[in-house]
Amino acid sequence: MNFSLTEEQEFFKKTVADAVDRIVTPRAREIDEKDEFPWEVWREFTRLGYIGLRYPEEIGGMNADKVMCMIFYEEIARGSVGFAQSIIMNILMGTYFIFRFGSDEIKKRCLYPAMRGEKIATMCFTEDQSGSDLGATRTRAVRDGDGWRINGTKMWITNGPICDFCTVLATLDPEKGLKGLNFFLIEKGTPGFSTGQIIDKLGCRGTVTGELVFDNVWVPYENFLGEELGKGVYYVGDILDEVRLMTGAMALGIARGAYAEALEFARKRIAFGQPIGNFQLIREKFAEMDTLMNAARLMVYYGAWLLEKGMESRVIAAQAKMYATEVCLKVVDELTRIYGANAFAYEYAPQRYFRDARFLLYGGGTHEVLRDFIGRTIIGRL
Amino acid sequence: MNIIVFVKQVADTEARILIKGDQKALEIENKYNLNFFDEFAVEEAIRIKETMKDSQVTVCTYGPKRAIEALRTAIAMGADRAVLLDNTGLEADDPLIVARVLAAFANQDGFDLILCGRQAIDDENANVGPMAAEFLGIPHVSAVVKLDAVDGQVVKVESEVEGGKEVLEVRLPALLTAQKGLNTPRVPLITGVMKAMKALIPTVDPTSLGVPKGEMEHNASKAVTLSYEPPQQRPPVKIIEGETPTEKVRNLIKALKEESKVL
Amino acid sequence: MPNDVLVIVEYKDGGVRKVSLELLSRAKEMTSESSSTLYAGVIGYDVKGIIETVRAFADKVISVDSSVLKDYRWDTYVSVAEQLVRKYNPSMVFGGSTVTGKDLFPRLAARLKTTIISDAVGIEWNNGGPRIKKPLYGGKIISWLTCKEGAVPVVTFRPNSFAITNRSLNGEVIEESMEIISDTRFSILSRDKGGAQKVDLQEADFIICGGRGMKGPENFQILEEIADIMKGRVAASRAVVDSKWRDYDDQVGKSGKTVSPKVYVGCGVSGALHHTMGMDTSKVIVAVNTDPNAPIFSYADYGIVDDLFDVLPALKVELTKTKKEI
Repeated sequence: MNFSLTEEQEFFKKTVADAVDRIVTPRAREIDEKDEFPWEVWREFTRLGYIGLRYPEEIGGMNADKVMCMIFYEEIARGSVGFAQSIIMNILMGTYFIFRFGSDEIKKRCLYPAMRGEKIATMCFTEDQSGSDLGATRTRAVRDGDGWRINGTKMWITNGPICDFCTVLATLDPEKGLKGLNFFLIEKGTPGFSTGQIIDKLGCRGTVTGELVFDNVWVPYENFLGEELGKGVYYVGDILDEVRLMTGAMALGIARGAYAEALEFARKRIAFGQPIGNFQLIREKFAEMDTLMNAARLMVYYGAWLLEKGMESRVIAAQAKMYATEVCLKVVDELTRIYGANAFAYEYAPQRYFRDARFLLYGGGTHEVLRDFIGRTIIGRL
Repeated sequence: MNIIVFVKQVADTEARILIKGDQKALEIENKYNLNFFDEFAVEEAIRIKETMKDSQVTVCTYGPKRAIEALRTAIAMGADRAVLLDNTGLEADDPLIVARVLAAFANQDGFDLILCGRQAIDDENANVGPMAAEFLGIPHVSAVVKLDAVDGQVVKVESEVEGGKEVLEVRLPALLTAQKGLNTPRVPLITGVMKAMKALIPTVDPTSLGVPKGEMEHNASKAVTLSYEPPQQRPPVKIIEGETPTEKVRNLIKALKEESKVL
Repeated sequence: MPNDVLVIVEYKDGGVRKVSLELLSRAKEMTSESSSTLYAGVIGYDVKGIIETVRAFADKVISVDSSVLKDYRWDTYVSVAEQLVRKYNPSMVFGGSTVTGKDLFPRLAARLKTTIISDAVGIEWNNGGPRIKKPLYGGKIISWLTCKEGAVPVVTFRPNSFAITNRSLNGEVIEESMEIISDTRFSILSRDKGGAQKVDLQEADFIICGGRGMKGPENFQILEEIADIMKGRVAASRAVVDSKWRDYDDQVGKSGKTVSPKVYVGCGVSGALHHTMGMDTSKVIVAVNTDPNAPIFSYADYGIVDDLFDVLPALKVELTKTKKEI
């Protein structure tokens, strides 16, 4: 058993935290308030090369292990969730299928520029009538000559309205449910591909989220991303644990940012002639928050460790996503209590943490779906 | 050009510092950084290296094992090599001793230019730079805000002096201390971060550098810390009342005159 | 009680710097108890006026007056100071922890191979040795140091550490002449004494500091006017300097200057930790802010919760009246 980060991982964490605190954190408020894609922060930060975090060194990546990836997700979310969500989309889901299945030509056109931050990537699962229920996907792909003809509308697409390319989940046959699912690459400028409504979100502002419309879009055969038709859902399974753990790590990051805000306030804020941190009921909140955050941290990093070792991590990843997010919600709630009425003012940070934390409820599976999955897995088929 | 940068790892300004029970020692939260002013020195060294071919940047600290992290930061920024002069069991704070050890290292390693931060933000001494220069018998310039490495022989610098600035020309070898404004330290690229993570940072026993061991042990320092204490607590703020801003100001001035007697 | 003490005197624009008079005043208190001699070392060119001022504060004024010493350079000044220490053999050397002091004294200490304690804010005499007070970690910790017997420490003090007491001593003046060694390896090409007429920020008795609440660079004019009335200085928070409303030279805080004036007035300064660390040793802190919850009120002695732009004109008027009364 060894629960500590290695000296190298500690150094990595410190270096990432420092980069985030120099470039991202000071502009978190502005990113939230403007709710526009923060191009300047994007250029400044992506220049450092972190988008290649997960990919091999030979193609300009960092070949980071899963623990290091979690460290990165946690730190960047601590700085600004709005920014974190956009960059993580480029790092993980937006490029995963292209890295895995894309031809050399596609990688040159999409993956490498995306790793440099020159192109914005995204991945589209969700539709109006399908979220956690992927089998209900209606976006349809059919063979057409040397390629594919795709029709459908995707909702809640992170980076969608500004993306340069997207990995689209589409079905070849809605009757087949999950077994009909496949991934296709669609690039900006392809006739019939357009962006629709941009969603005005409660939190995670600064990430541009919206609708993508595929109206009779034709792409060549090689834009099918996979080895075998009908295996799309298995490919999703290959990345699912990492996505869920990533969401847990983001929750930890938000919780830490909120916690730091609360701690500073409790130490400095004077009431009844003394810092409020002297009061037992305030201390109790910190005892609770710290305990919960430690538990969440252990769960997320244990999951990452299992994943890195190639061990079974499906249940723990679901638990980590759910638990860390619930802990995050609890911490931001306590922040708004410790902070007093000012937490209710847009002028101060607590309200931003409060809004941002709720964003994590949905991605990687709603907690209702996750709980059901975990319980079902434990009890087994009866 | 061979450039050596002296750095120090210091407690983060946000780190919690507690005084231990006997008031003779401090307990510092485990949050340390490369000293704020040393970052300017490292950055400047790397910039010189980028403009002058065949330059080498060596970063060196006299510190405990944990200071390796600060050295890795310098490597991530672009320094070529780093050396830890491990001060475990030796005097760590007396500037006279620290400067002697660093000077001895520089002397042994060889250099054309030494850079270091204007001061460490923990003790705010600003001593080690000029003292090391004295031990090395080379000129120094404090609080440099602009540097032109004219060639390998002479540098032209602008430094902050009392109430203004001064432009100097200094023949190498020399030591310069970096002031804020000299440059903007870079955020390391991942290529640098990876290099730093993998870098093997040698530890050198400071007693091997020619300074007699007896002169660097704990009891060798002529300065002795007697005790630590927390700063005096201020009484709570008095909010000055008044119907109008003018009345508030009048009441404030009365308090400044009569209570605290500063006007 | 200490034996003889040597204070290296700093001066500027023909006047002795306050920090030197403070050190002389404190050193005299100490030396007079042990009937030792307080030396004031005056190094420079055409320093008669300086000597006259200093005479009132020291038992003996040793002057080294040479055209070579016209402008400060560490090489010539260290050369002279070293010879003074060797000749007069004081038990301690005092200097100011100023920009010049931070350049000169470490080099001097290294040349003398003696210990240096810098940036101190107090000194007492206790059990046959000095007790020197020095803040660490931006004032979060106060340390007390002493020196082993036989050490001849160089000790530098922050400005405003001691009160000035003029004892009209009429000290004896000793004019020394000596060989002054200069270092030919560096030369000063030019000097820009921009802002030389202003009080040094670290020496100012009165500092009025503008924060983000000042809303823009144009609003600092009234702070300048108030500072002028009080013969003080305008300072700025990091946010203000980062926004380029003011020069870095004005920045107070962890990454700027550490100040301890008699009166510090923070205007629209929120009181972030990195700022308060640079000013919380001020004698009296006044905060003006519309937000009653601004952290600066936890550090302030007096607070006004009101609109800056109503308070500042009133402050200007009232301080002008105060000055006329004196």
